[in-house]
Amino acid sequence: MVNPAGIRLLLYCFAVIGINSQSIAADNLMPAAGVIENKQCLQCHEKTENKLVNSWRNSVHAKSEPVVDCVACHGHEHESVMVSVRQDQICRECHGGAKSPVVHSYASSKHGVLMQIEGDQQDWMQPLQLANYRTPGCSYCHMHAGEHDVSTSVRQDLMADSELEAVQDKVQSVCQDCHSPRYVARLLENGEAMLEIARKKIREADRLIEQAAGEFSEQALMPARQQMIKMRQHLLNVHLGVGHQSPDYQWWHGQPALDGDLIRIKGVISALRQAGFPAD
Amino acid sequence: MHTRYLWIPLLIVTIAIPLGFYYVDWSKSGEGAGLYSRDWLPQAIFAYWNPDDFYESVKSVKGEFSGEQCVDCHQGVTPGIVNDWRKSRHSKPVNDQAVVYCSDCHGNNHDDLHLPTPGVCAACHAVQHEQFVDEKRYGFPSHSLAMERALDAKHFVDKPKAEVTACLQCHSVASKCDSCHSRHRFSAAEARRPEACITCHSGPPHPDDETYFHSKHGQLYLQEGKNWDWSKPLKKGNYPVPTCAYCHMDNGKHQVADKSIWGFGIKQVNPMSSGNEVKRNQWIKLCSDCHDPDWASGQLKQLDAERKQSWQKLYQAESILKGLRSDDMLSPSAAQRPPYPGDVPGDFMQRERIGFFEGQASAFYNVSPIERDYFEMWYFNNLKSYKGAAHGDVSFVNEGQVAMDSSLEKITQNAERLRQLAEAGKAIQDTSRKGKTDKGDNILQEIWLRGEYTEYNRDHN
Repeated sequence: MVNPAGIRLLLYCFAVIGINSQSIAADNLMPAAGVIENKQCLQCHEKTENKLVNSWRNSVHAKSEPVVDCVACHGHEHESVMVSVRQDQICRECHGGAKSPVVHSYASSKHGVLMQIEGDQQDWMQPLQLANYRTPGCSYCHMHAGEHDVSTSVRQDLMADSELEAVQDKVQSVCQDCHSPRYVARLLENGEAMLEIARKKIREADRLIEQAAGEFSEQALMPARQQMIKMRQHLLNVHLGVGHQSPDYQWWHGQPALDGDLIRIKGVISALRQAGFPAD
Repeated sequence: MHTRYLWIPLLIVTIAIPLGFYYVDWSKSGEGAGLYSRDWLPQAIFAYWNPDDFYESVKSVKGEFSGEQCVDCHQGVTPGIVNDWRKSRHSKPVNDQAVVYCSDCHGNNHDDLHLPTPGVCAACHAVQHEQFVDEKRYGFPSHSLAMERALDAKHFVDKPKAEVTACLQCHSVASKCDSCHSRHRFSAAEARRPEACITCHSGPPHPDDETYFHSKHGQLYLQEGKNWDWSKPLKKGNYPVPTCAYCHMDNGKHQVADKSIWGFGIKQVNPMSSGNEVKRNQWIKLCSDCHDPDWASGQLKQLDAERKQSWQKLYQAESILKGLRSDDMLSPSAAQRPPYPGDVPGDFMQRERIGFFEGQASAFYNVSPIERDYFEMWYFNNLKSYKGAAHGDVSFVNEGQVAMDSSLEKITQNAERLRQLAEAGKAIQDTSRKGKTDKGDNILQEIWLRGEYTEYNRDHN
């Protein structure tokens, strides 16, 4: 029998050795104190942490405009690059304020609640792995073990099967730091089913609008199209509710809200068809 | 002489009552759970939200293990759980108590593990468990009745089960103590913080989080709460401002229902009944920990006034809808759309459900747009104002009232439009173009009875 505890320990030893050897290497190349620019970061770290830099290059951060580069999160001072970079506040600066669904769905989850209560007692210098954190913040899941391609842990709405499988494997392994593998697997499987139901609602509404598009003017269809914009946000809410495990986003901001959108779109189309009908 | 009438009560006692009990037992014995257990099948994840009904042990490892062995292995498998436990009082008991290991709650046999329910915690925390169970006698809303409330909701039974999983996630507060004392730390201090409640007490029907944090109490908590000693019990003098638990679970009593006057806020109550007078006095006594009793009494009267005002508006909307229903002018009508959850399609008695006592709570889908407007007015706007008034957040009272006003206006206008539409339809029928009304019927049924989700919902519950 393979002892999983032993494997963890072995991995942990390798990680410690790895981290130490990197810091020794980095010490030799340590830049002078003072402000550093992104170009300088890349010059050194492409050599010392090539894998990390490459994963960042693959990420949506590297491809966005303006680019979210090393200094955007780590700051310009080499002595303090790791001090606050793992904290949620860094992510929130771009990913919306407290009321934005992406932040609020996390904040109202049990993970987010524990972060609000205990986050200031957390040692944020710990590596993002092996349950070093009582509760996961943004970075623990989306940059687990220093992964710099955040999208590897994000389930986008429409994904190829292979991409989806990769994300699910990733999520399964991260959540397993704290939760039983079966619990995580069942949550993932249920989340997928829940998302598919949300998409069924969207497709039902979409089909009605598209059928009506040939018969009625765009102006007449405008209220239905506007409702569809809300519907897409509500689908996103289900995504966030599943991903961040917020029951409120899965439900009140998600499924029943989608039901309401569908009713209103049907109402618009019914009224158009009924108004058109006596003139036949 | 009159003994021949004796057979009626005798028949009731010997046949009807036992038959009733048997029927309830039978209806609860299906593969699902609750009163409609024969109508649905559970999702695998339900095992974790309702372990009493659905949990089955994982079978991946065989053998019996001691507490220390569990810890040794799980330090590697799921280190987060063990880290949490190490910091809990279970691993570091005081006063010569024994260490509470994994196996004490989950069992020793890895082939036959269980997910601890409140009954398991009761082995040590008897007083809290007794209070928690005692809550049931106060009826809904309640933590200890939350699971059966969810399982017996018509829309829960009707909808695809993967869709309504989130319902059970919150309603599992009846089945798991870790809804508030998160696992595996099980900290009392954590549950005393207001954030412990907000994963479930948030969102449009119960914005308890927002209304509390906006209130003066909540603002002070946000500014200073970090520095308070949360290990102290929820008693007078221990906290500068009240939190959710300080008021709703005063003195640490593990139930929230005994003082509830207006309940969930979804039906009107008489706040001056003798029973509510007792509850009112309990509130005044509690508020008097910090405030003048007369001031507290005044605040409660303001809440009563807010409720009265809201219900006047809700009843106006309800009477508009019931008027449309009487005149057969709701469109689509009950026959032109999928049935109300729990109703049978094509049922002879099928009709639109309006108002709390007819089952308004499930009327958020399979209804016409104007009924959905009323649902939102009743379940979202009304409760926004209620929670604002109850928690001392004037901005939410105002927003809720304004939202109710605009809902009422929208409902009034749409009702007028529906009446015009119905009149026009009637005129066509009067000129005996019967074929055309059938066509109108078909148009509506095509839109409302068909569609990917609508059909899926009909086939999957």
